[in-house]
Amino acid sequence: MNPSLLFSQILNGIVTGMLYALMGIGLSIITGILNIPNFAHGALFALGAYLIYTVIQALGNFWLALAVAPLGVALLGLLIEYAGIRPLYRAGHDYQLLLTFGLSLIITEGIIVVWGPIGMSQLPPALLRGGVDLGITIYPKYRLFVMAMAGLLVLGAWLFLEKTRYGAIMRAGIEDKEMVSLLGIDIHRLFTAAFGLGAYLAGISGALTAPIRGLNPLMGVDMLGIAFVVVALGGLGNLPGAIVAGLMIGVAQSLVALVWPEASVAVIFAVMAAVLLVRPQGLFGIR
Amino acid sequence: MSRAWIAILAAVVLLPMLVRHAIATEIWIFAIFGLGLNLLLGYTGLLSFGQATFFGSAAYVGGYLLKHGGVNVLLVLALGIVVGAVSAAAVGYLCVQRSGLYFIMLTFALNQMFYFTAYQWTSVTGGEDGMPGIPRPAFLGLRLSEPLAYYVFVAACFVIALGIMKRVVESPLGKILQAIRENEVRAQAIGYDARRFKLLAFVIGGAFSGLAGVLYAMLFGIVPLEAIGFVFSGNVVFGTLIGGSGSLYGPVIGAFVFIWLSESVSVIWQRWPLLLGVAFVIVVLFFRGGLVEAWDRLATWWSVRRLRGVAET
Amino acid sequence: MALLRTEDVTKTFGALTAVNRVTLAVEEGTLHSIIGPNGAGKTTLFNLLTGQAPPTSGRILFDGRDITGTPPQRIAHLGIARSFQRTNVFPALSVLDNVWVAVFARSRRRGLGWRPADRYPDLTERALAALGEVGLGDNARRAARELSHGEQRQLELAIALAAAPRLLLLDEPAAGLSPDETRKMVALVRGLKGRYTIVLIEHKMDIIMTISDRVSVMHFGSLIAEGTPAEIQRHAEVRRAYLGGIVAP
Repeated sequence: MNPSLLFSQILNGIVTGMLYALMGIGLSIITGILNIPNFAHGALFALGAYLIYTVIQALGNFWLALAVAPLGVALLGLLIEYAGIRPLYRAGHDYQLLLTFGLSLIITEGIIVVWGPIGMSQLPPALLRGGVDLGITIYPKYRLFVMAMAGLLVLGAWLFLEKTRYGAIMRAGIEDKEMVSLLGIDIHRLFTAAFGLGAYLAGISGALTAPIRGLNPLMGVDMLGIAFVVVALGGLGNLPGAIVAGLMIGVAQSLVALVWPEASVAVIFAVMAAVLLVRPQGLFGIR
Repeated sequence: MSRAWIAILAAVVLLPMLVRHAIATEIWIFAIFGLGLNLLLGYTGLLSFGQATFFGSAAYVGGYLLKHGGVNVLLVLALGIVVGAVSAAAVGYLCVQRSGLYFIMLTFALNQMFYFTAYQWTSVTGGEDGMPGIPRPAFLGLRLSEPLAYYVFVAACFVIALGIMKRVVESPLGKILQAIRENEVRAQAIGYDARRFKLLAFVIGGAFSGLAGVLYAMLFGIVPLEAIGFVFSGNVVFGTLIGGSGSLYGPVIGAFVFIWLSESVSVIWQRWPLLLGVAFVIVVLFFRGGLVEAWDRLATWWSVRRLRGVAET
Repeated sequence: MALLRTEDVTKTFGALTAVNRVTLAVEEGTLHSIIGPNGAGKTTLFNLLTGQAPPTSGRILFDGRDITGTPPQRIAHLGIARSFQRTNVFPALSVLDNVWVAVFARSRRRGLGWRPADRYPDLTERALAALGEVGLGDNARRAARELSHGEQRQLELAIALAAAPRLLLLDEPAAGLSPDETRKMVALVRGLKGRYTIVLIEHKMDIIMTISDRVSVMHFGSLIAEGTPAEIQRHAEVRRAYLGGIVAP
């Protein structure tokens, strides 16, 4: 096989893998802290992509749009938690699931109503168009930027959770909610913040993805299953777990795409099934 | 015969007079699908968001055989049931190792695996275009191609399926599954291997989904890609919850409401899934406890009114 | 011969040693109590005996057979039943069904059965007998969650008895009961004595001293003494560790 193609496919796998990890971390924060199944996570991802598209159309500036679009998604996240999920904390996973699933349908169909059912494409910013010669292969600048950006965001999330007081409270919230409320912390504010943060990460993943894969209304649904795979393999609230799981399925997908493109999405789930056959408790054996 | 059975039989007879035959048939198919899910959701406490996996797999296999084989209808149904059960055994084996939110996410993720397989395997499934041209061959002189004849056939399947499910949940197995739902640790401590029983619930539920899947393929003459997609999985959860997951008949009531709801909103607007999503949110936020609760309120109101009427005369 | 024997059983959770080299022999037909202050490792020991958790090291022998690391559902079929310190019943099921599923679990040679569950008259009778034994015979049709705390403790015991066990492990059956309810529970346990081999965890010294054949004392995960109730009361180390400071006899 052509080594330059193989190399660039591995890089592609790392780029998508980092985006998967970012999705998984956002989902993990929401699911772990609020203890709810968030079936709207994929739709928030898609919304991030469409918002950045629209903001770029309106303002003509990618960087400004990258700053604004995820914040819009985060705002929606805050609203969803406040108005929708908060009344349901004692209602059981079945009703929580129906709510987030219903929201996912609304957002996905809303995207079709507003932006149309047909896919669209988004160019990277002028600064990041074209490729860089890496010796073995010439690789698109924008993808390298996404790799770095996703790495920074993961690092940021890690620093936030490990090094700040509020992050420590969030981690405590994943472990033991009773203790957090005993500490005199407003658990509702924590929940709202966690949903906002998770939604932000979903939104920025979508925004970063738009110039790579373009936009289509179903992009969120596809991503939702992948985010679930990351969490199932990596463990709730486990950042290194999410990164390992994300990179694993991202690279597996890219490599399979070389030899058997039709199977490249199904292979993500097949990898998960194979890992769970050997290690039913996931990569790091949590819960 | 109990009142519930009289009501069911009356509904079977009356329904085709009230709505189009295709809709009436679809209601009973969806009810069979819901019965299978409710063994997991209501009786075992397992929220499976991947029931379309078994429904769709059986629909494709059944549809394929009918298209290419000219096989006996009963044999196709039996094979569909087997496909549903086997796919549920494979998926269930992985899922029952985990619990809570992980369980839910795994059922969904594995559903996606089957979905993308069907999506790409176009030579067999037709991918996005679906698998069209599925015939309804005659069965014991009954010309199933006639809508009413097919309705009778499906209604009979439903009545048999309901009878079997009633027997299952009233058998010791039903009690054991409920015990596992109520307290898994204690169920293990008194000697039940919870995972094995959860897997058994999956297999039985999968068999019901498989039956429903084949009947669905025959009803519309096509297996659309959605039949194996997550929206179908979500719909059956929704139908079962609004009907009430606490009882055997809940999913049957849910099937009525859901098919009625989706048929009515789909004529209003092409983007009806949006309205369906709105309906989900409204039901969850304002009508939790499902229709059973609403029904109780109505029943109370009705009996009060009747008593008043008696008092007045 | 001892029905239950543990050899150097140890359980550690990270740096914490919850159960430390416990060697214990429970003779068939006796009531053997395990006492010790809170956190002494008594419930953890029960969890090891019933397979809820595997021991870190050591062996557990039941009727001469090594059962170390056997999962709970298999332990139950060997004839070991337990009650839990925190009430652990099936809340939405009827009181009868709570016990019925336990009876059925132990009679499963006939397979799963296709008959409706209420058409196993012999099993229903045995379940009702277990309920009668603990004094819940009149409550069979109520849902378990409607019972008072005291009644739920009785149900807890009935579920364990329903398995017709050879060894009965009772984890503080009188936990959280009023003095009156406690007296009833003690009478109940006394009534079981001789018919079952019983291991009893209890805090209340007066109960232990009047109904036990043997008493083992646990302290910080280790057994520090064993003997008849009279011997234990005289034992100097036990008095220091337990009787003296925490509970007056």
